[in-house]
Amino acid sequence: MAITEDRPVEPLALPSGETDADYKPAGVFTRPKASKGWRSWVTTVDHKKIGIMYGATALFFFIVGGVEALLLRAQLWAPRGTLLSADLYNQLYTMHGTTMIFLVVMPIGAAFANYLMPLQIGARDVAFPRINAFSYWTYLSAGLFLNSSWFLGGGADGGWFNYAPNNGVLFSPSHGIDYWNLGLLIAGVASLTGAVNLIVTVLNMRAPGMSLMRMPVFTWMTLVTQFLLLFAIPVLTAAQVLLMMDRLFDANFFNVSKGASPLLWQHLFWIFGHPEVYLMILPAFGLVSDILPTFSRKPIFGYPFIVFSGVAIGFMGWGVWAHHMFVSGIGPISVTAFALTTMFIAVPTGVKILNWTATMWGGKLQFTAPMLFAIGLVLMFTIGGLSGVTSAVAPGDTQQTDTYYIVAHFHYVLFGGAFFGFMAGFYYYWSKVFGYMLNETLGKANFWLMLLAFNLTFAPMHILGLQGMSRRIYTYDSGYGFELWNRVATIGAFILASSIALFIFNIFYSKAKAKKLPPVSPDPWDARTIEWMTPSPVPEYNFDPVPTISRVDDFWYRKYGETKDGALVRIAETDDVVQKRSDGKHIHLPSPSYWPVVVAVGLPIVAYGLLYTLWLSLIGGIIVVGGIFGWALEPPDDPEAGHDDDDHAPDDHSASGDEAVAVGASAEVADDESAAEKVGEPVG
Amino acid sequence: MPRRSVALRVLAVVTVAVVTLLFVVLILDAFRNDGKPLTTLRPEGPSSQSIQNLMAPVFFVALLVGIGVFGVVFYAAWKFRQRGTDDPEQFPDQVHGRTGLEIGWTILPALILAGVAVATVMTIIDLEKRAPDAIRVEVYGQQWWWGYKYDLNNDGVFDIETATEMVIPVGREVDLKVTSNDVIHSFWIPGLNGKKDAVPGQRNDLKVEADIEGVFLGQCTEFCGLSHANMRMLVRSVSADTFDQWAANQQTKAVEPTGAQAKEGLTLFKAQCAQCHIINGIDDGPDRPPVPLVSGIAPNLTHFMTRGTFAGSIFNLYSPQGDPILGNPELTANPGDPGATLVGGPVDTTKVNRAVLEAWLRNSPAMKPAYAQGGRGMPNLGLSEAQIDQLVAYLETLY
Repeated sequence: MAITEDRPVEPLALPSGETDADYKPAGVFTRPKASKGWRSWVTTVDHKKIGIMYGATALFFFIVGGVEALLLRAQLWAPRGTLLSADLYNQLYTMHGTTMIFLVVMPIGAAFANYLMPLQIGARDVAFPRINAFSYWTYLSAGLFLNSSWFLGGGADGGWFNYAPNNGVLFSPSHGIDYWNLGLLIAGVASLTGAVNLIVTVLNMRAPGMSLMRMPVFTWMTLVTQFLLLFAIPVLTAAQVLLMMDRLFDANFFNVSKGASPLLWQHLFWIFGHPEVYLMILPAFGLVSDILPTFSRKPIFGYPFIVFSGVAIGFMGWGVWAHHMFVSGIGPISVTAFALTTMFIAVPTGVKILNWTATMWGGKLQFTAPMLFAIGLVLMFTIGGLSGVTSAVAPGDTQQTDTYYIVAHFHYVLFGGAFFGFMAGFYYYWSKVFGYMLNETLGKANFWLMLLAFNLTFAPMHILGLQGMSRRIYTYDSGYGFELWNRVATIGAFILASSIALFIFNIFYSKAKAKKLPPVSPDPWDARTIEWMTPSPVPEYNFDPVPTISRVDDFWYRKYGETKDGALVRIAETDDVVQKRSDGKHIHLPSPSYWPVVVAVGLPIVAYGLLYTLWLSLIGGIIVVGGIFGWALEPPDDPEAGHDDDDHAPDDHSASGDEAVAVGASAEVADDESAAEKVGEPVG
Repeated sequence: MPRRSVALRVLAVVTVAVVTLLFVVLILDAFRNDGKPLTTLRPEGPSSQSIQNLMAPVFFVALLVGIGVFGVVFYAAWKFRQRGTDDPEQFPDQVHGRTGLEIGWTILPALILAGVAVATVMTIIDLEKRAPDAIRVEVYGQQWWWGYKYDLNNDGVFDIETATEMVIPVGREVDLKVTSNDVIHSFWIPGLNGKKDAVPGQRNDLKVEADIEGVFLGQCTEFCGLSHANMRMLVRSVSADTFDQWAANQQTKAVEPTGAQAKEGLTLFKAQCAQCHIINGIDDGPDRPPVPLVSGIAPNLTHFMTRGTFAGSIFNLYSPQGDPILGNPELTANPGDPGATLVGGPVDTTKVNRAVLEAWLRNSPAMKPAYAQGGRGMPNLGLSEAQIDQLVAYLETLY
């Protein structure tokens, strides 16, 4: 590939990007040029705009899933609740879980990965910008398709895990599970293309000098996360294709009356489902690992341990799936093996928690809103991790599984862990993304209110579960002793909703206030990683020039140097180190494209066709295939775009550039002074 | 740094205080298990006891570790906070890590976990042991109730078939084979043992044994469709003598009723109910057509009145005070107590929870969600009030 090839001095280095102004392969299409207005968003291939769209869409679905959760909690307010029917409750809890996992937590991770990771490694964009846009639009169409089931006969009613044979047509005849199944198949396409894209980006597009062990921890965790996705999603996709064949064409993969084993579904689902858990939490771990050092005023404690424990979690996460199946009738040897692997995955997780604590230890802690949320993650995740260890003890799990104890456990992991980390990330990076700071006082109030409400909601569920309350029950009777803690949990859930409302209010309030304030500094937190060198909001070209990296926390050490006895002294003013906004005209950027959104729109049309009439599938298929052809045939670039390569600072130190130019072919040219120029560029 | 806000400070203090109090109360509440019949924290049998013996120290260690981490983080947050008087350009020691420390806190949790692992494996082995004199019972789940088949003399032939409630002798092990006739369910009597999934096509092992006489409640815990919440079960632990009497009575067949109304009821039963429900001696002949339900079976009603509950154990069959009891077996001192009827004594009709039984016959889908039109659950039969009275009169002869 052309990623690191030698570039001639002439404009347009891309292999297919000859400066041929008449180049119109299909004879008609040119690439869109809009840089403002809604068209620019629909056709954008800019990783930052795509990241923002991921985040905004995920927050929209977060509200949808949150309303579903509030309805569930309202139904459980008192014994024999009458707000929801059994059927509606089952649909709501299924869609709550599915929405929160696939349409909220994973995409928020994708939002941060999209926006931040290229900035953290000093890239101009991701490796395949159009595929990046395609991933986003596919995710959006999957989410809309999935939720359109509410208006077309009701949502899925089998739980987010949809165990066979209850997921068969015999037991769930409505189209709900078909929407679930096809919707997640489409979402899987988005995840998989995104994973390939981001892995290639991390491995190939780092700035000069940015060796793997100089990458910010968030970028590391993104890399691990995307590898988990790359291998986990295909397993789910395989299972779901089998289920689709079963439901639509009587293929009998999971039909017990035809001799199938329903445990096959469970194995496939959890081989996907447990790595899934780690790929949801690791991006938040990455964010916190970058935020804690900033506000502790000292480097992350044990960078290699933090990195490798994340990698270890990524590997070990593949060997624990059957702990979801301790009571399914797998043999005692299997139970023992998976109990032990599950216990020992607590070791790398514990290393992370202790390293974060050691990062704070001896620092000068600044309790900003992002710092508070980050500490919140450390503490709340500790609770979730410990309850996880108690569930790894298989005999204990036979009492705990499928009770509210488990509901408490994974909400401490996914809300107290992942979502607190995301909130930390929102408050930390808001000014970088949108050019104005979120109000700190409101942010801290947001934190304390959320911490209070979160614990009120989910802490009582530990006891509810241990005292016998099953999961997924739409009603319970008085006399079981469940009333008190269910009420506390329901009250907590509504306060939790108000803390989210406070966050949304803060967004608009701070934006209104920001008009009267001076422009925000590029580096308001005195941060450590190079994304803070860019102006806020980040210009389309990211860096001008691309910095050359000489160590972990490179940006920090442009501002500060260490004396011989380890004391820190300022060596440069922040204003002199951060980059000024340039016109960027000399920087080549990939052109927008219509085709990602066209292909993504075709996929749900195929899915609707599978449910209603195959003719519709044909139309959808034509759109998809036509879109792919248009994609392949559209001109690679705007030939008018200015382009040259003088975008590196003359004084940039490229001493250790040899590790930077990441892979293979480029190594031999790395010593060359011009190695800094060999940084990869998006391939259109 | 933004200026300090009093309201913010109050909110922070309130949050820390409320959350701390909440956790203290929750931990204390774990020791209050009266009036919580489904609790896992008060074992009443050897299996649940060995789980408890394993878990109590695990919970304790987890609590200590949690308190330790919280303590260190809070201490660090307090001790190392940046004070208003500090010079922001004064930096703390730039510690990048200490390998020895890192290796230490990699090994320490691994050692703690190794200890937990040894205890776990021992308990798994313990729970797999089986007593030679155990009673063998096949438990089958279907949407949305449980059935039990007893093989009393271990000859491979089932001697008793009953539903909803399982009767076991106190102090004697009962070996269960748990299976399902439709989707996956999970059999769980928290007081006696952990749960085991009922998987169609599998016969999963589980043992239960009660140390005391009494009633143990359970709840299906694997999501099994619409009425998952309404799929409960109940185990009655009785003395060995009572068990023998109960077992002997259960093996008898139903006889033709004598009362005029009950006779009408039997005719009605044969016309309306016998398609799905079996009563031994009435409609269990070799030529009976298969049950048209997805699960292929409906509760066997031969000794219906010997049970204290019905419809997946969600309604009481008896109401000692004479007032109808809707749901919740625990609302009475002795849940759904059939009294002497348990072992075949005549039914005290004044104590039958008649209003609820009639309501069930009037329109069962309104009482318990089901998909009767899809062959899952009991449909609304459209019975007249007179017919309902006749059916109840007949049902009251089934003991």
